[in-house]
Amino acid sequence: MISRRDLLKLSALVGAAPSLSALAGELPAPDHRIEIAPLTIDLSPHHRLKTTAYNGQVPGPLLRLQANQPVTIEVTNHTDRPEVVHWHGLFTPPEADGAVEEGTAPIAAGATARYTFTPRPAGFRWYHTHTMAMNDFTRAQYSGQHGFLKIESHDDPAAYDQEVFLALHDWGGHLLANQDGAMNPDYAVATINGRVMGYGEPLRVKQGQQVLLHILNSSPTEVHWIAFAGHQMRVVALDGNAVPTPRTVPMLRLAPAERISALVEMNNPGVWVLGEVRKHVQALGMAMVIEYQNAGGAARWDQPSDLQWNYQQFAGAPQPATPQTGAQLLSAQLPAGQPAGLSAEPPIIVPLTFESKFHGHGAMETWTINGQSYPNARVAPLIRGRRYRLQFINRSLDDHPLHLHRHSFELRSLGGALDATAGVAPPDIRGIVKDVVLVDAQTRAEVEFTADNPGSTLFHCHQQNHMDLGFMMLFQYG
Amino acid sequence: MAERFLAALLALALAPLAAFAQTNYEIQVYGADTVPPQTLMVELHSNFTVQGQQQTIDGQYPTYHQEHETVELTEGLNDWSEVGFYIFTSEQDGHGVQWVGDHIRPRIRVPDSWGWPVGVSLSTEIGFQRSAYSSDTWTWEIRPIIDKSIGRWYFALNPALERTLHGPDVSQGWGFAPAAKVGYDFTRVVSAGFEWYADYGAIGNISPIHTQQQQLFLVTDLNVSPVWEINIGIGIGATAATDHLIVKAILGRRFDWGRHSPVD
Repeated sequence: MISRRDLLKLSALVGAAPSLSALAGELPAPDHRIEIAPLTIDLSPHHRLKTTAYNGQVPGPLLRLQANQPVTIEVTNHTDRPEVVHWHGLFTPPEADGAVEEGTAPIAAGATARYTFTPRPAGFRWYHTHTMAMNDFTRAQYSGQHGFLKIESHDDPAAYDQEVFLALHDWGGHLLANQDGAMNPDYAVATINGRVMGYGEPLRVKQGQQVLLHILNSSPTEVHWIAFAGHQMRVVALDGNAVPTPRTVPMLRLAPAERISALVEMNNPGVWVLGEVRKHVQALGMAMVIEYQNAGGAARWDQPSDLQWNYQQFAGAPQPATPQTGAQLLSAQLPAGQPAGLSAEPPIIVPLTFESKFHGHGAMETWTINGQSYPNARVAPLIRGRRYRLQFINRSLDDHPLHLHRHSFELRSLGGALDATAGVAPPDIRGIVKDVVLVDAQTRAEVEFTADNPGSTLFHCHQQNHMDLGFMMLFQYG
Repeated sequence: MAERFLAALLALALAPLAAFAQTNYEIQVYGADTVPPQTLMVELHSNFTVQGQQQTIDGQYPTYHQEHETVELTEGLNDWSEVGFYIFTSEQDGHGVQWVGDHIRPRIRVPDSWGWPVGVSLSTEIGFQRSAYSSDTWTWEIRPIIDKSIGRWYFALNPALERTLHGPDVSQGWGFAPAAKVGYDFTRVVSAGFEWYADYGAIGNISPIHTQQQQLFLVTDLNVSPVWEINIGIGIGATAATDHLIVKAILGRRFDWGRHSPVD
């Protein structure tokens, strides 16, 4: 067991602002506790597996934190290897962000540490392990170490009667050759909130209710498509940030680490299925039953015939052609509580080219950003207060869910040609603020962010096997 | 008298070759994968015997300078089974283009969802070949298939069992005819390696080494596209009972004939 002295030491390392009273010897009770421990989980009557989870459940407990109110979360690691918890989507300091690459201290096996930070911005975030799995498809994001974070404020994107949190996850990974000649994980089971379809209680609703679905894709590697039979979903927020133009859509697409908040009016009584649109994935279990009060019978599923999704439909109105600074735009469009940029200068363009290296048909590819593979990659210096435009040039044959730590970014363009001078330039996008964006294979995309949260900032592909094999880099500014 | 004795000796020496001569119509070590459903794989196997048997034995044409063209059609039934059909032909000076026979080959495999660490499948092949090309006219093969990719290396083993259903070797029972492959990926497109084919004769009565078939091919696989399959090789026969030099090529093309929905 860890001693109190060890705990204090870790707290000093991990906590962004450990209180003097704590260091003096008396630690106040934390606001929340997370116990990381092995867990045997029944995903269905036929699928029992050993994993690692938070507080003995998958997903971990929903943590509701008040925006801009400091919080202390105590984490005990009961596993036999170091762990770290990443607060995904929050503007945390690097010491508390939960990425060892940025400087957060790992929590040793058997140790306890405290994360102290001020949660912001408000919205639907999540927390998860930020360790490496390499070829062990039971570890890191392949495990059950994920949970919901709701940063509360007075500015919820929509009024609702019931709030429901759903996590999409894939389990039982094994390597399988894909068509581009490399190996990737393939899965045996797919779940919503750690259960396959029909195992566990249905979600019970009442006619006339407005249900706000907060859906997280916690899958280590897979994109998922979700539809709610008999109902439409009105997307009000992406990655926890209100969209300028809420839209009613027949289905949602979530890349790994993405979140969507969608409002559903319960206006079609019966027993319905909410689940993966693709038949072969739903057959692995990724679906759940939604049951109206006093309704009975078998759950109904209406199979869509196509996949439909694009980010652009949620964008704001076109902006005037006059160049504006990213700071001005962000301050005008971000929900209350999110920081405005500090710069009055045009954004600095940072091209980032993604490529893979082939290591045989029996191996996973390794990845490079601008020819460099983490950890053998240069740290990119930024200037505090400046606006940056990241140009994602995806020369690989894979789509990539790209995540920037400790910041949000605004989507500016998607689906452009690799050669920026070829073809028609993609339309300008405004007002969609995210922390993960899926960039299609062989395309170019652009996002902007303001360097207003100093320190080491990790940027990576959120596909676990890609980040394990080099698809990461650090930005740094003071 | 001496000539008849020598002919009989030669016939004895080449007995396994005659019994399982269809080997030289489809020279391939099978991988464990099956063709996806609603997909037809069309392959042309072209094998030319540069140095082979030059005598007509028991009415069988010599293999020397025979050009074998085999059309293989394989249809995926589901994501773990397929059925293949072969049309064997031979072209040779003095004999022209001849139909040799046909085989049918159902195959099943361990589904990907089982997550086995190696690929495993089981093929069975039954068919007819004309007596001018094989004294055993009806044959049956059971071929277990195990394969594994490790980094740039590829390994496959086909410990096949064969038996004659109609012909002089019908009483021999099951024979053992293993094949194996080792490949190395030099690039994403170019792989090269060795394929080994053997026929040890009847199980329980293994043939003497000079009457066994032992062939070793130097091969290259060109992975130019997911829909194309290209395999080229040159092989030597190491025993008296084996054709001594064969050049082979496999050209395959997948045809996706189904209506594949993005939501499948």
